[in-house]
Amino acid sequence: MDDRRRRFEAQALPHLDAAINLARWLTRSNADADDVVQEAMLRAWRAFDGFRGGDIRPWLLAIVRNCWRTSAGERKRRGHFALPEEDAAMTGDVLTFSGPSPEASAVRSDEGRKLDAVIATLPEEFREVLILRELEDLSYREIATVTQVPIGTVMSRLARARAMLREKWLGNVEGEASHAL
Amino acid sequence: MPCDQAQRVEAYLDGELGAADALAVEQHLEYCAQCRALLAQLETLRGDIRQRATYHRADAALRTKIARALDSQSPRGDVIPWVRNVWTGAAGGATATALAASLAFFFLLPAASDPLITDITNAHLRSIASEHLIDVVSSDRHTVKPWLAVHADLSPPVADFSKQGFTLVGGRVDFLEGVRAAVTVYRHGAHIVNVFAWAGYNEGLPDFATRNGYHIVFWRSGNLVFCAISDTAVDDILELSRLLKGMSQTDARE
Repeated sequence: MDDRRRRFEAQALPHLDAAINLARWLTRSNADADDVVQEAMLRAWRAFDGFRGGDIRPWLLAIVRNCWRTSAGERKRRGHFALPEEDAAMTGDVLTFSGPSPEASAVRSDEGRKLDAVIATLPEEFREVLILRELEDLSYREIATVTQVPIGTVMSRLARARAMLREKWLGNVEGEASHAL
Repeated sequence: MPCDQAQRVEAYLDGELGAADALAVEQHLEYCAQCRALLAQLETLRGDIRQRATYHRADAALRTKIARALDSQSPRGDVIPWVRNVWTGAAGGATATALAASLAFFFLLPAASDPLITDITNAHLRSIASEHLIDVVSSDRHTVKPWLAVHADLSPPVADFSKQGFTLVGGRVDFLEGVRAAVTVYRHGAHIVNVFAWAGYNEGLPDFATRNGYHIVFWRSGNLVFCAISDTAVDDILELSRLLKGMSQTDARE
């Protein structure tokens, strides 16, 4: 029996969705996100003996983020940037879990696509704190661990991200609602 | 000019304040309309993001790639995968007894059950990765059960266990070993549980197995074989199988 592998699978694999969610929101590309997460899981596996218990999710997500920064740096040096088609592909193959009414779910996924697009336009440092806070439900301290900045910086970036969304998204929705009426 | 308490209102929303600070913010909100409006907007925004923004999930191909990559790294790479999976399953303490019984089967008959487990894991991954998770969307067992009876020619027990944390979301038809299987789909938190039922006499099935991080529970009732698979915690999937076994007994009495 490989006890180390067993412990790793039991502790780390349940957070694979969190890892891919963060990676896709960071890279905005399915293929790049897969590469980042695979590399991150291998690094996590090699570093697993150094993990000293506690909540493994921030530890794992910090590795995902580091892998992304490494690969993003490499791509930048090679002059590769994500193409718009790749962004479109990202939002196209997502599991959207529909409620009982197909009509309601169609409306929701349409709204969801718009919101995805708005969040995707936020600059990286704001996008990542927003995703970690709202979709991963991490605390300020955990976000600080993942992004390797002080808690005060986490708070100001989160406030900035929300201010941008209040303007771009809530302004948007209210405008459309009044238009529809 | 934003109120100088705005940052504290955000920390309040995020549950980052101690009791005394939270109380102070609540008192401030009573007389600061600007902060009340801010809080309302932040709550709307949070609701929209959590309900509408995409939460990306790992697909089957990625899980497989990672499992292979880890295999190539493992110091004990010579261990046959299915043996390792049995022991991965042994991690759940609650299942140890059931497992001890099934281990004998597993060691005697690995060839018979292993392809089926692969089949089921692939069917589960396909259902999650593709759009084909559900053919009939309903949380009403009186809709799902007759639909399965017509389309899969099987009438497995179907119930909504929302109170116990397993919400019925629908059903579909799938194929296992070339026969039609009725699949009932449940949602447990962020996890999907597929419950397969098919007519068969598969001998030598384990009670429990783990494959690529997915837990698989088998049981049998009448001439149907049942299999629940998910990436939930071991105890959760065992709980759902217990609930469904209880249903089978009720159905039989009716």
